[in-house]
Amino acid sequence: MPMTPIAPAASPTPASSEALSRGASGFPSPADDYREAPLDLHRHLVRRPASTFFMHLEGDAHRHAGLHHGDLLVIDRAISPRPGHWLVAVIDGELSVLRLERRQSRLYLAPSQPRLAALPFDPDDARLWGVICYVIHALPAEGEE
Amino acid sequence: MFALIDCNNFYAACERLFEPRLEGVPLGVLSNNDGCVIARSEEFKALDIPMGIPTHKIAPHLRRRIVLKSSNYTLYGDLSARVQQVLAQQVPTLEPYSIDECFLDLRGMREDWHALGAALVRSVQRQVGLPVSIGIAPTRTLAKLANRQAKTQPTRPQVCVWQSADAPELAAHLARLSPREVWGVGERLNARLAGMGIVTAAALRETPDSVLRRRFSVVLARTAAELNGQACLSMGDLETPRRSILCSRSFGQPLRDRASLAGALRHHCQRAGEKLRRDAMQASAIGVYMRTNPHHAGSFHQACEWAALPFPSADTQQLNRAAQRLLARLWQPAAYQKLGVMLTELTPRRQSQTTLFDGAEPARQEALMHAWDTIRARYGRQALTLGPQPADAPWQMNSAYRSACYTTRWDELPRARAR
Repeated sequence: MPMTPIAPAASPTPASSEALSRGASGFPSPADDYREAPLDLHRHLVRRPASTFFMHLEGDAHRHAGLHHGDLLVIDRAISPRPGHWLVAVIDGELSVLRLERRQSRLYLAPSQPRLAALPFDPDDARLWGVICYVIHALPAEGEE
Repeated sequence: MFALIDCNNFYAACERLFEPRLEGVPLGVLSNNDGCVIARSEEFKALDIPMGIPTHKIAPHLRRRIVLKSSNYTLYGDLSARVQQVLAQQVPTLEPYSIDECFLDLRGMREDWHALGAALVRSVQRQVGLPVSIGIAPTRTLAKLANRQAKTQPTRPQVCVWQSADAPELAAHLARLSPREVWGVGERLNARLAGMGIVTAAALRETPDSVLRRRFSVVLARTAAELNGQACLSMGDLETPRRSILCSRSFGQPLRDRASLAGALRHHCQRAGEKLRRDAMQASAIGVYMRTNPHHAGSFHQACEWAALPFPSADTQQLNRAAQRLLARLWQPAAYQKLGVMLTELTPRRQSQTTLFDGAEPARQEALMHAWDTIRARYGRQALTLGPQPADAPWQMNSAYRSACYTTRWDELPRARAR
């Protein structure tokens, strides 16, 4: 069943098509037949609004993998975790970001911090919070005009 | 068949989702303005700190062991909407009943009910991260009881199915249950039933329909019929007086324009306000629910959002202002078939918490509402109606221990540590 998002950040409604498609004279624009809805990045990144959450990454431990402090994480709880996925998991009562790895046919939550040990993980692990599907990283020009 | 899905200790669960260190900690959630405890985690209940206790009356030695949070209806409302959205993907008709409860109309579906219930519980737990329990039975009244039963199960998923009203385990359950526990049977009704020797739900459903109609009401006769497995009550017929009020209606013609919807919403707010005042209650939060016709071709749209009221209120104007703001946020260009207003966190009027602004204004508003109700009672409901309301600046609330609006504000997103 097609669903529109309920509460979380519904995509902005495109401007009224009526107003756009008619010039001052009232004649329909010849481009009408070719018009498509504008690209909506939110809908692209958020496939399942009910299970998608945003967080900020705290710390630079995963910098080597391209995950920087302050990056915006897009987390979809509906995704089943697989080796190679980046996860949000609850470690010591704290929301934490780790990579899921397979080593000799066992799954582990693998930290980047060298002082931490890998933690065995099972598919129904209660520590799993969600799977990160996108990381949005701002470059120096962010916010400038 | 009908199902009732209920989020377990909903407010506490919402807080814990983004603050996992609160798992296992006695956690209480406070009313508007941090006045008293309105929601408790299991660990909090185990300390025997009662519901509704004023915050300052919690003993210091207990105060040190617990965590208190201000209520965060923005967060709870968003998560509540997500739960409904997940359910709506799997069942055709869902009727939100309060911020943490939802009826599912499963008529026409043929399923392994246990499997369906378990699947729904699992998908809400997984996709939204909140624990829920589900009761499935032939009527809404029985589904509500089944849900209560499900909550007592030690194992997950918490699912209770009563396939028919004749199920032996159901009969045994009703024989042990006070009529007071049945949806819509209040304290006074219960006392009158006891006077006639009807002291169990089983006895209530065995009482002849004619007797109930003559000595009580049609509604109670219907309740008994529901206990016997005949679905005859709709959501609007009954509310549990303490917890929530629902005013909703399907439109004869689908409504598209915002002005008509705003008018319908004013109408519902009027009714909701009257129900509140009739029961001498006030509400702390309001929700607006709207949907298009699920049986029509084209895209189906439904939306529901909640907002806290600046202070607990039974004032129609106050309710309407909050509801109109929600409508403005929810509205999309679609043909709406149903619109409803929900009120929750109801408390008796006299326990009103005072705010800085509470001086003369509420007394005047109370007088106004009294005059309002009197005029409408005397001269008819059309004699006086609620016109358009100017949007008012939201009142600032006292919420010292409020968690962040983790899901609705960019600058309040949770942070996850790189390990």
